[in-house]
Amino acid sequence: MPDLRIDHLTKSYGELRALDDVSFTVRGGELFGFVGSNGAGKTTTMRIILGVLRADAGTVTWNEAPLDLEARRRIGYMPEERGLYPRMKVGEQLIYLARLHGLSAADAAAAMEHWTEVLGVAERRDTEVEKLSLGNQQRVQLASALVHGPEVLVLDEPFSGLDPVAVEVMSGVLREQAARGVPVIFSSHQLELVERLCDRVGIVRAGRMVAQGTIDELRATERPVWELTGSLPAGWADAVAGSVTEASPGVWRVEAADAAAAQAALASAVKAGTVTSFAEVRPTLSELFQGVVSEEVSA
Amino acid sequence: MSTVWLIARREFRVRTLSKASLISSGIMIAIIVIGSLIAKPFLTGDDEPATVQVDTATAGDLVPYLDAAAEAQDAAYVFAEIDAPAEPAVAEDTAGLVVGPADAPTLYLDGGDETLTGIVQVATQQAALSAAVEDLGGDPTEVATALAGAVPTVQMLGDDAGDFDSGAFFAGFAVIFILFFVLIQSSSVIMMGVVEEKASRVVEILLATVRPATLLGGKVLGVGLYALVQAAAMVVPAVFAAWYLGLLEQFEIPLGPLLTNLAVWFVLGFAIFTVFFGGLAALVSRQEDIGAVSTPMMLLMMVPLYLSIYLVPNNPDGAATAVLTQVPFFAPFMVPMRAAFGTIAGWEIALAIGICLATIPLLTWIAGRVYAGAVLNTGGRMKLRDALARS
Repeated sequence: MPDLRIDHLTKSYGELRALDDVSFTVRGGELFGFVGSNGAGKTTTMRIILGVLRADAGTVTWNEAPLDLEARRRIGYMPEERGLYPRMKVGEQLIYLARLHGLSAADAAAAMEHWTEVLGVAERRDTEVEKLSLGNQQRVQLASALVHGPEVLVLDEPFSGLDPVAVEVMSGVLREQAARGVPVIFSSHQLELVERLCDRVGIVRAGRMVAQGTIDELRATERPVWELTGSLPAGWADAVAGSVTEASPGVWRVEAADAAAAQAALASAVKAGTVTSFAEVRPTLSELFQGVVSEEVSA
Repeated sequence: MSTVWLIARREFRVRTLSKASLISSGIMIAIIVIGSLIAKPFLTGDDEPATVQVDTATAGDLVPYLDAAAEAQDAAYVFAEIDAPAEPAVAEDTAGLVVGPADAPTLYLDGGDETLTGIVQVATQQAALSAAVEDLGGDPTEVATALAGAVPTVQMLGDDAGDFDSGAFFAGFAVIFILFFVLIQSSSVIMMGVVEEKASRVVEILLATVRPATLLGGKVLGVGLYALVQAAAMVVPAVFAAWYLGLLEQFEIPLGPLLTNLAVWFVLGFAIFTVFFGGLAALVSRQEDIGAVSTPMMLLMMVPLYLSIYLVPNNPDGAATAVLTQVPFFAPFMVPMRAAFGTIAGWEIALAIGICLATIPLLTWIAGRVYAGAVLNTGGRMKLRDALARS
């Protein structure tokens, strides 16, 4: 499977260090979610992958070869700042972009027809882009990233501004592309979506990759937390090893060193009163992200 | 190469097939063609000689003198003898009526006709002179011949003598002026195209698959073809109109070399100026900011135009003229102007073309760098130095 490797990318704009030694790999067939606050360096990274910007240091390789112009033509790209020729018709525009990526006239026309059909803008082929609704412009934008049958997908905020129906369409397309073996990297602020969709996630902060891995890897914590709800007398946890705090009336957070310790805490609770639920609490991506951001604030 | 061609083709199609372009070309062609159709009867109508009636009884003797005077002035009048009515009137379809006596005739006119008045005056004086010569026993024909031969010869002396050829001046002027307008127009089309891509942000998708210099090159090529078609859309009907109206025979300056010059320097000047302007246009992000870059450039472009108009006629062999001929931004104006005057050597033309050809890749490279450095910058105007530093 062809991998997209980003190795030690560094980029400065004058005094501002936009990227500081960013490295990650997106494997073929993998959906990689790229998360971070505004200005953390997501767009800069993607622009460097596409060769639109030049890195000060570091390399981008695909299939273990440097990503040159010829290879970049096989990437599908959706920039953060959407852009199409406003006064060009949808169909002509997609054919033009496909041909710039090296497709023959016939292949380009067929691909245009396919993608306008799949993305539900087939009836708009002869409409100028500026006359489309914002949602349809987004669909055409996605079509322009897919129309040349890319072997890598790099999408900057593909979900921003989409209605729930379009979000489902977009998610479906990304999954399909990954299933084809295409490495897909996309950035998003919609963390639930990233959590639901992505195989792996990278969190960037102030130009540095601060965490990356599968969602499960990221959620695994050194000190697991359990949440216990029920009707219990005060002081039930006095004998329990580990820390037990009442988060809200009838809800306790149990921090235990391991599962056995947690079970012991549960046994004490059952002895003392009625337990209605007991489950391990794993942080959501959103909480992980909040943690990263609060580190950023306190740093 | 095929990518450049794809880009050029899009530019060409978008510009040529835009409604505004089609409509304005259509209107221009219609005005030229319909105008020449309407003008034809008027222009040819002038060639029909106007009839002037002459009263046989009182002024019949004047007719030979009137004919001679009209011919001398190259005016087309036919003098027809009639018996004038008691109440003098200018008959329909005639220019006037002459009634005697022959030594002091009366000319009746409907409106002012200075030519005819002059002819009648000269004819009357000639008739009076002939009568006087005859009275004195002389031969009026001899006197007329002697008078005709008594013409001074004018000869100019001094530095300027004979050097200023107004025909050459206007021919050269016409060529560089057409060139100037085509270049100004094409440059502004290029600039708008560059800024349009920047403003709509489509440039980021394009640059992910195309090199900046390729994008700029394709644009210049496409707009160049568009400018050629635009020019042809005007020149072809204009030549047709000139032919239809019979103006071509009156044109005394050889068209061939002029048009060759126009074509060669159109291509070279086009490449030099539009590449340059296209690179600079990337410095701004919005259509309304184009003026900040284009206005000083357009003013600068007038410098070579005016220098050519001033230097070539006044100082055709001067050092400044010779040197500027070889400077790329001046050559497209200097060479056609000097060629029209015939004051340029073949090797100078060849050298100027060679220098321009060598400059074009260099200029494209510089403009491409400015373009690459500036094209993704949004917001305000970018400084040239920053653009070069960033690329």
